[in-house]
Amino acid sequence: MARLTSLAFAALLICLCGISRGATDESLPYPAALAEQGQSRFVAACGFCHGRDAAGGSRGLDLIRSELVASDVNGDLIAPVVRSGRPNTDMVPFDTALLSGQDLNAIVAFIHNQRFLASTLEGGRRSVQPEDVAIGDPVAGSRYFSEHCTSCHAADRDMAGIGARMEGLPLLMRMLYPGSERGRSPRPANLSVIQSDGQQFNGPLAYQDEFTVAIRQPGGQYQSWLKNNVEFTIDDPLQAHVDQLSRYTDKDMHDVLAYLLTLNGANP
Amino acid sequence: MKKLLYSLLLVVPLHSFAQSGFQSSVLLDPPADTWATYHGDYSGQRHSKLTQINQDNVDMLGLAWAYQTNQNQSIKGTPLLVDGVIYMTTTNNVWALDARSGRQIWRYRYPDNDGFHIGQRGVAIHGDLVYLTTPDAHLVALNRHTGTVTWQLAIADYRRGYWSTNAPLLIRDHLIVGVSGDFDNLPGLLRSYDPQTGELQWTFYSTLPSDLRQPGDDAAMGGQMWMTGTYDPALNLLYVGTGNPTPVLNGNARPGDNKWTGSILALNPDSGELVWGYQINPHDTHDWDASEVPVLVDAEFDGRERKLLLQASRNGYFAVLDRESGENLLATPFATLNWSLGEDETGQPIPDLAKDPQQAGSLVAPDESGATNYRSPGFDPDNGLLIVSAADAWGIWFTKEAHGDYGWAGADYTIHSRGELRAIDYRTGDIAWRYNLYGGAGSSGVLTTASGLVFTGDSTRNTLALRSNNGESLWHVATGRVTNAPITYMLDGRQYILLGAGSTLFAFALPERLVN
Repeated sequence: MARLTSLAFAALLICLCGISRGATDESLPYPAALAEQGQSRFVAACGFCHGRDAAGGSRGLDLIRSELVASDVNGDLIAPVVRSGRPNTDMVPFDTALLSGQDLNAIVAFIHNQRFLASTLEGGRRSVQPEDVAIGDPVAGSRYFSEHCTSCHAADRDMAGIGARMEGLPLLMRMLYPGSERGRSPRPANLSVIQSDGQQFNGPLAYQDEFTVAIRQPGGQYQSWLKNNVEFTIDDPLQAHVDQLSRYTDKDMHDVLAYLLTLNGANP
Repeated sequence: MKKLLYSLLLVVPLHSFAQSGFQSSVLLDPPADTWATYHGDYSGQRHSKLTQINQDNVDMLGLAWAYQTNQNQSIKGTPLLVDGVIYMTTTNNVWALDARSGRQIWRYRYPDNDGFHIGQRGVAIHGDLVYLTTPDAHLVALNRHTGTVTWQLAIADYRRGYWSTNAPLLIRDHLIVGVSGDFDNLPGLLRSYDPQTGELQWTFYSTLPSDLRQPGDDAAMGGQMWMTGTYDPALNLLYVGTGNPTPVLNGNARPGDNKWTGSILALNPDSGELVWGYQINPHDTHDWDASEVPVLVDAEFDGRERKLLLQASRNGYFAVLDRESGENLLATPFATLNWSLGEDETGQPIPDLAKDPQQAGSLVAPDESGATNYRSPGFDPDNGLLIVSAADAWGIWFTKEAHGDYGWAGADYTIHSRGELRAIDYRTGDIAWRYNLYGGAGSSGVLTTASGLVFTGDSTRNTLALRSNNGESLWHVATGRVTNAPITYMLDGRQYILLGAGSTLFAFALPERLVN
């Protein structure tokens, strides 16, 4: 009876929320019954962050437009993220005691069916199309780029071909703060340390709080120091992107994006 | 089938109780061995008079005990302490622990359910009962000595999109309970129940249900009251912050101020009637709740003693109100923001509609997580400082016609966030000191003590003790990221600091040889 009741609730939820409509069972990538089972587990465990429809909720990524989900085959990419979580993010691990293998399979089916049904979704976040953000003036953007960005970037060096490699929201987010488009940490700042014995270290900053700094050495070795015991400097080139956020008007932002889109290799 | 019945009906109470056990009058002046309500007392200051742990000895703090929940949900709630027993929660769980040893006395597990499992902020206690709210928007009354269910009821219908993480607030014979639900266009509701029987006493709507609306009424829904309010016994006023309107990002669907969303409200706790309201975030289009703690302070303002209410709000504004009249005395930013054109003659911020979400995207500070959030601030009365876990954060915000007018109705993405603890001078809004949290927005609340200490956590993995007058760190320990607001209490002559970091509850104290 309990099982019947929860299935009835799931069916009711679908009717109430209009989550899936307009597709027949035959056209779905996974059986509708399996996805419905996955839906109730997904809503409870994942829905707040990723949205009840998997299209993004508060903070969590839109899964139906996720590159990882797009590349996933029967959970081969999704399952490891669910089982291990993502360190230093809100994505906590779900072990088998919290989420059975059967439930995880059902969730995978639900996410893939949601991708298929994306055009009919309601109530969650929505897509941002490349043409939505490409409204700027590339000439004005070129001017802005020359005035504010060329101490670090050049159209014929690191930015060459950027408009062919990226577009739309990912390029806009990367332009504003590199790394934000993937929801991950950006390229780390550089840490220079001088120990009391005079030995020096340089490399990517791996950790910092008020008391400790750490470096990731070229071979991957992690090394930390108490700040009180060493002299150190931290150089973060991405701070220029943070400083820029309060200077952009929305027009500036769209103009620079429009300019970057012209750097597509066709017109170097 | 039982669950279905519970969901659809207000369950008839199974028992009635004689007055016994913990009484609400204790909350008027809580003793040192008690933390019996979410904020510790009715003021929301999270300020303790305890001084055994002080600036000279805090660096000798050590672990008294730790309790591991083995849950993937972090400890987000404030534990309560009554009669030497700690009541701690995570989603669907309550533990009763021996406050001296950390030993488990009982554990209650609410059945698996389909509501949003996002967090649980703590219980309330009255008589021999302890109250838990659940992902499927139920209120469960447990016998606090045994952990067995005495009664339970549905606060709201979770199938419509409601859930509850709320730590209920006990005011005499009223148990005030709130819900969440901004993924759907739902009326904002706060309910009061008889704490013994569960009988519904009143419902306050911050936005009206459709059957109570008149033609021409403001179209906004939402305004959920998901955080625990505060209470002034002398004025007999309950203060509560209301959440954002829905649809969330599409403001065109609900023109106007959207009262009473994004507001600080004063209610009569006996009737649920609105006495006054101040809308700190009119016509929100960025998910910026005004649910943050309305902190009650009796202090001088502009040369005279006043009964004040302070709020550091998610939209980046710090406001000071006269809590008797609701008059705004000060409204000024405490974090980076670019959405306001200033304040009107009543002190209400004026939103810049150009910074509403746009089809092409609008770059706005703060981000969705806000300039602060559920993280409880602490007030230091000696220095007049409201100490707040703040963030300077930027997001990009979208909405277009195709996104519709239901639920989120748009999209937004965080670009960058930097967390900082800020000590706000309540008289001016000036930032007296700052402490870098070394990361994005924090997850820890703030506790202050009369010995001039602040207990909190940074955004990496440290529990911190800072001087409350200047933010200098005096002690730290790598517990993992603090995920709730620390509390303190005195048992057997020993002061404890209790906090949650991930799935572990830690109790710190001075060495026994020093305190005995």
